[in-house]
Amino acid sequence: MDDILSKISSCVEFGKIDKASPYPPDMKGQDGADELTRKAIDDGMKPGDILEKALIPAMAIVGDKFSRKEIYVPQMLMAAKSMSSAMKHLKPFFQSGEAKRKGKFIIGTVAGDLHDIGKNLVAMMIEGGGWEVIDLGVDVGTDKFIKAIDENPGAVIGLSALLTTTMENMKKTVTAIREKKSGIKILVGGAPVTKEYCEKIGADYYSPDPQGAVNYLNQIVS
Amino acid sequence: MTGSTFQFDFKDLKLAVSQVESVMGYKEGESQETISELVSEVLKEAEEICTMKAEYRFFDDIAFDEAEKTVTINGLVFQIKKIIYSQIKKSDSAALFLCTAGEEIGARSKKSMKEGDLLRGYIYDVVGSEAVEAAADLMQDQLEREINALGKGITNRFSPGYCGWLVAEQHKLFQLLTDNFCEIKLSSSALMYPMKSISGIIGIGKNVKRHPYTCSLCDMKDCIYRRSKA
Repeated sequence: MDDILSKISSCVEFGKIDKASPYPPDMKGQDGADELTRKAIDDGMKPGDILEKALIPAMAIVGDKFSRKEIYVPQMLMAAKSMSSAMKHLKPFFQSGEAKRKGKFIIGTVAGDLHDIGKNLVAMMIEGGGWEVIDLGVDVGTDKFIKAIDENPGAVIGLSALLTTTMENMKKTVTAIREKKSGIKILVGGAPVTKEYCEKIGADYYSPDPQGAVNYLNQIVS
Repeated sequence: MTGSTFQFDFKDLKLAVSQVESVMGYKEGESQETISELVSEVLKEAEEICTMKAEYRFFDDIAFDEAEKTVTINGLVFQIKKIIYSQIKKSDSAALFLCTAGEEIGARSKKSMKEGDLLRGYIYDVVGSEAVEAAADLMQDQLEREINALGKGITNRFSPGYCGWLVAEQHKLFQLLTDNFCEIKLSSSALMYPMKSISGIIGIGKNVKRHPYTCSLCDMKDCIYRRSKA
């Protein structure tokens, strides 16, 4: 791998956002994902290569480490923020079509539920996995999900719930999507959600951690 | 015997950086200096912004139904399910409680997250959760002293949303805590505002016991609040 791609990858894996960032301590004072990505683009590197050879593999390592409990939420958040600082340089190329993402992923916490940390983590990991993420936020009603599906044909849906009460709204949302739309893949997650519940409400996939969701999405497009 | 209300100083909670880091997953000495510094900063800020309040009220009119695994308090039937039922069924009265860390810490978490400072937002969230649990511990210690003086004991505290007790049952619980000293509001989906608030039940009686910790009883194995020591 090119030296700069390798450096960008390390920055994302270890959460080095930019030069000013004091984290991680052993990379203090060095360029971060922000500066290195800018430099790579300015040097003529293809944005698609930065995404596929540096950012996506780095976030996959982060996701796997988290699944194996080798790192914790803070490191994952730093990695995701580092990835975002690189992605901001790539966004114009996604818009122009010069670089392509794997697909679109619509995510939201279901109606009545305001919890967003888990949802945000999943959104960031999926974005880092090379997907365009449309984050509808928290307390998202069924109509808003349906509208987003209409506006983004072919998108995969992710529903999050942290309360046993709002799991019922997850069920209502899945039912409404199934009634109004066909062929939509729906992922579900959140502390009280289980594989059995996922099957019971007719969703397609349940993952207890963000990387499981990324792997499932990759499987869809492979 | 009707109940008590409390206001705590954040310093009374004695929250340590290591405790917050432990909830975030780190074992002793595993966290990095930058993380510890940020936790320490947020804890200092929390001293200024958290308004810790708690209350409990006693209820003598309680009855248990072994077959249904319910407890009826002042005529309202709570479907507490088997895990909590087994822990409190020997109680002859109960205390219902509320506890809150106030609005601001949750608001700052949301704001930081929205502005892209994810780590700080997450730390506010963890500190808020730990603060409200620590305040509930102090409240429960006071309750225990009061009850022990009467020659009785208390159980652990149990909240709707855990151990199979549906969060929706919180609506009934709030019907019984009418004065609501903590000024907690409940949404239609039983979400409490401020978000860093807890509610629940503590059993009281001669034949009940408070155990050191009960996360291991709960069936939510992936719960983010599950204690590593459980």
